[in-house]
Amino acid sequence: MSLRRLAPVSLVLVLSLNGCGSTALDVRYPEQGVNRALLASVAPRRVRIDHVVDRRLETARVGIKPGGGSDIVTSRPVADIVQEALDLEVTRNGHQVVSDRPEVVLRPVVEVFSLDAVQGYASWQYVGKVVITLSVADGRTGDTLLTRRYVGIRRRDVDKPDEDQWREVMDTALARAMHDLATDPDLVAALGASRPPPASAG
Amino acid sequence: MSQNGVGRDRSIVLVVVLLLISGCASAPTPGPTAHPFDEVRRLAIIVSGDSSFSVVGHNAEPGRTFDEILAWYPTQAWMRPLARILHKGINWALELGQTATISGRVDDISPRTVVAAAMAQKLRATGWFDEIRMLDREPPAEDPWREDALVRVTIPAWGFVRVREGDPDLLAGFADVRAYLTIPGTGISRWEGSQDVTAPEQFPIDTFRKDPDFARQQLVGVLERAGQRLANELMYARSAGR
Repeated sequence: MSLRRLAPVSLVLVLSLNGCGSTALDVRYPEQGVNRALLASVAPRRVRIDHVVDRRLETARVGIKPGGGSDIVTSRPVADIVQEALDLEVTRNGHQVVSDRPEVVLRPVVEVFSLDAVQGYASWQYVGKVVITLSVADGRTGDTLLTRRYVGIRRRDVDKPDEDQWREVMDTALARAMHDLATDPDLVAALGASRPPPASAG
Repeated sequence: MSQNGVGRDRSIVLVVVLLLISGCASAPTPGPTAHPFDEVRRLAIIVSGDSSFSVVGHNAEPGRTFDEILAWYPTQAWMRPLARILHKGINWALELGQTATISGRVDDISPRTVVAAAMAQKLRATGWFDEIRMLDREPPAEDPWREDALVRVTIPAWGFVRVREGDPDLLAGFADVRAYLTIPGTGISRWEGSQDVTAPEQFPIDTFRKDPDFARQQLVGVLERAGQRLANELMYARSAGR
């Protein structure tokens, strides 16, 4: 195969990766930045984190590319990103993420995961927003102990649109929501109030 | 073409694709500068510095108008820097007008008091500190109370900011805050944080113009949120590295 015959293929690849298609952001909660926080002040618990429910009004994208109008998406499903963040936070704070016989059940719902751009004359302002609703249930009774909404917002002015900046805005918004969660005294109290389920007979 | 030629062509394409893909991958985000300060039990919060209220529009329209006018002149290129300055001037004047309209109705808000009180309340709720007090100035060296640490807070800017384009545009309350935790008498800084805090709710500017009580409520809310966010980030950094 000659280089001339490969050229169209290369062109399609280059165009698709450079703005003609949607832009995929690798948003994630950085593991190296996860600390033991207030969440670690309660005795270690067996925590089951239910599958994250994505309840956003628009799930196909997180934003629209400034100027071009093409979609900005995440490279992984938003529910997976939030699930990973919750796993990291709970584990780093000394609790055990389990699938059976939990003392605590976390039921997370993603309400918002969005990136907005406001155009100025010579600059752009990006606003990343993450809203996660978390219900905490007793592992034994299934009773809901607490329902909280954690909102992370990042606002940033930039001179020139750039994918790394979009990702940073979304990473930071997610991290702020997670930090609010990890330092929430009410969540800690709910974890402390939870009880293990009775051991199954036999 | 020889087999070697085909292999070379494929290699070139592969390198191009790999380079493009590698550009999309995320680089590790550096964590905040922080050291453990678990031993801090007595804390004082000092809010200082000037705080300016503003309505930030990030307006593009005046600039676009200038572009359209300048497009008719052959001297467009050299006039562009001038247009940029004029645009900024017009935006500044527009924002100043909006700021003056609203600020006259919310000038009884003390951002320092609201941020410090919200931060102190959030920190107290953790039970990690024996005492937290708010000061309006640096404590004297002979202060018998003598805190383990001082948190110096500044609020460089607060007000309303345009967060969504549309008809009408939507604005939200905002507060930009900074904080430094230092050990008194040592000059040692244990933590610093900077937060661009934005209210989750968004409204047209007319909502704030027509209802001063609502504007005040939104501003107090975002200032409280700023104090809580600083407290949360301080607590989150408290045991960093452990």
